[in-house]
Amino acid sequence: MSTPHEGLRSAHASAGTPSFRDEVRTWLAEHLVGKFAPLIGTGGPGREHEHVELRTAWEQELGRGGWIGLGWPVADGGRGVSIEDQVSFHEEYAKAAGPARIGHIGEQLVAPTLIAFGSQEQKSRFLPRIKAGTDLWCQGYSEPDAGSDLAAVRTKAVLHDDGWHVTGQKVWTSLAHFADWCFVIARTGDAPRHRGLSFLLVPMDQPGIEVRPIASLTGTSEFNEVFFDDALATSLVGEEGDGWRVAMGLLAFERGVSTLGQQVGFNREYDEVLALARSNGSFDALSNELIDAWAGLQVLRHQALRTLSSDASASSGVEANVNKLLWSSWHQQLGELAMKVAGPSALLVQDGLSPLQNLFLFTRSDTIYGGSSEIQRNVIAERHWKLPRDSFS
Amino acid sequence: MSELIEFRSAVRGFLEKQAPVRTDDPQVWTRMVRELGLVSLAQEEQPLPLICAVLEETGRLLLQAPYLPTVVAALIVPDLGDRTAALALDGSLDQVAHAADAAVLLVTRGDELYVVDDLSATPVEALDLTRPRAAVTAGPGRSLGSANRARDLERLALAAESVGAAQRLLELTVEHLLAREQFGRPLGSFQALRHRVADLTVLVEAATSSVWYAARSDDLPVAAPLALATASDAFVQVAGEAIQMHGGIGFTWEHDVHLYFKRAWTTALLHDSRALRRLSFERSGR
Repeated sequence: MSTPHEGLRSAHASAGTPSFRDEVRTWLAEHLVGKFAPLIGTGGPGREHEHVELRTAWEQELGRGGWIGLGWPVADGGRGVSIEDQVSFHEEYAKAAGPARIGHIGEQLVAPTLIAFGSQEQKSRFLPRIKAGTDLWCQGYSEPDAGSDLAAVRTKAVLHDDGWHVTGQKVWTSLAHFADWCFVIARTGDAPRHRGLSFLLVPMDQPGIEVRPIASLTGTSEFNEVFFDDALATSLVGEEGDGWRVAMGLLAFERGVSTLGQQVGFNREYDEVLALARSNGSFDALSNELIDAWAGLQVLRHQALRTLSSDASASSGVEANVNKLLWSSWHQQLGELAMKVAGPSALLVQDGLSPLQNLFLFTRSDTIYGGSSEIQRNVIAERHWKLPRDSFS
Repeated sequence: MSELIEFRSAVRGFLEKQAPVRTDDPQVWTRMVRELGLVSLAQEEQPLPLICAVLEETGRLLLQAPYLPTVVAALIVPDLGDRTAALALDGSLDQVAHAADAAVLLVTRGDELYVVDDLSATPVEALDLTRPRAAVTAGPGRSLGSANRARDLERLALAAESVGAAQRLLELTVEHLLAREQFGRPLGSFQALRHRVADLTVLVEAATSSVWYAARSDDLPVAAPLALATASDAFVQVAGEAIQMHGGIGFTWEHDVHLYFKRAWTTALLHDSRALRRLSFERSGR
């Protein structure tokens, strides 16, 4: 038997082009300063309300620098940068403690959807403005009676001469206050469940839309309810009645290039917890849990690297679901551990939640949003193992 | 990359045909060494990804031939040649796996590694039926210096076998859940079971990634103990759940699931995962 001399030799994230990584690092060092300096380390889960105007300006700064749409095809105005280089960007961005991206829904979700399913007119209309950071987007999926059961959406859209008129209620919509556009799954026909849905683009600045913040258990308002009352949608992506396929395609665009960047943030949080344990004398009593959390973080990284590698044997088809279950439960446990490390003083609130308190509380949502852990498990069971559905799932 | 996949699939094809679970035909070992050249992979420039791919395959079928100790020894002892090896890297000689067939023993005394070729072995009966064990008396041998690398390579090898075994056992369990019907429907349609399968999948995928990483890492002292801790924990978890989800049939001698269970626990009891994680953490300098 001949033995292969090729094969994956490297497990280093820095497999991308060194010059590209340098370019990112240099640009960030030169631009994340001056009026943008207050943004360092801001935003993110539970803190999306921070510095919104300045973060919007920063998004446009990124756009001018050519850092939005790195992975989009060149034909669609992107830079067609390799996955490895995209990873480099996200890692360097996280290392520089760049603010949470206010344009990520447009760049990571809307743009790939338009590239895959949109018309040429839609692409030329929307992509340049996402790339420039001038249009911010929000996502209108969940409804009060359609959470995990997304196909149960009841928001309706009816076609008039001037476009689709949307009526209904969406919920858990991040950044709805600031967004220029919302993509909405709505019912456009009488067909039941998945078959009667369409994927619509709705401008947010119009009288038929009202946004109400939801106070979450952190005491802040990260998420909103959005009420549509005869609001006008100017575009429908894909075919009428094909919204489910478009919406599901969108979920598949999460290739995990931002995962390693996310882990740079996790590392920083872990280091804070570890440093606190060492300084307040709790390390010895909690060393098993602290070491387990460290080990879990390494494994998250290994999982991300293997998922991103081009080793086809690494593909299980449900990597995104496995990754979500792994990181969300790890993050939640880190929040709990942070409280144990901090001890009773963590029970007192001074001038709002401390970062560790916010970590502890906000991570309860990690296992719910973006497909709850239960839904992720169903997907793994069905898609990977072909286990049959029971009559309810 | 596609070559690595082809290579793995050739190894799998051979083992599935020649060495299904419980096979103790000595011809399998002869052919693995002479025809497939699997021990000589240790001479490759970057051997660990290849060797780990083989070990995942041998783990799947609970191979009884002494591939694991021999290939680890081949990575350490330049003049091993075609001799079969056994490992006693915790220094204990009372239940050394594969020792009865070994011509060479790698044994630690303190943290120093010795290679010994005058040894005698008396087979002992063990719970784990898939790695024959023996009590050994060994001559003084010669020192190879620090035992650290040998121990890390053994950890990585055990991790790779554990991951392969856990993957296969999970597949067997899912096959059972698809085939077995109760209350007029396949067991695999019950969400209580589907979700447990999904959780085990997450454990096994994560362990697979840790082994994948360690085999390609330039920091084996940190990566190998962590890979074994992750893989061994996953295998133990899958093994216990596999018996439970098989129901009564999983409690029988006839079914293979207990063979996996006993091997999983043997590795776990000889290599404490908590201590391995601590070792990895301390070596990382964190």
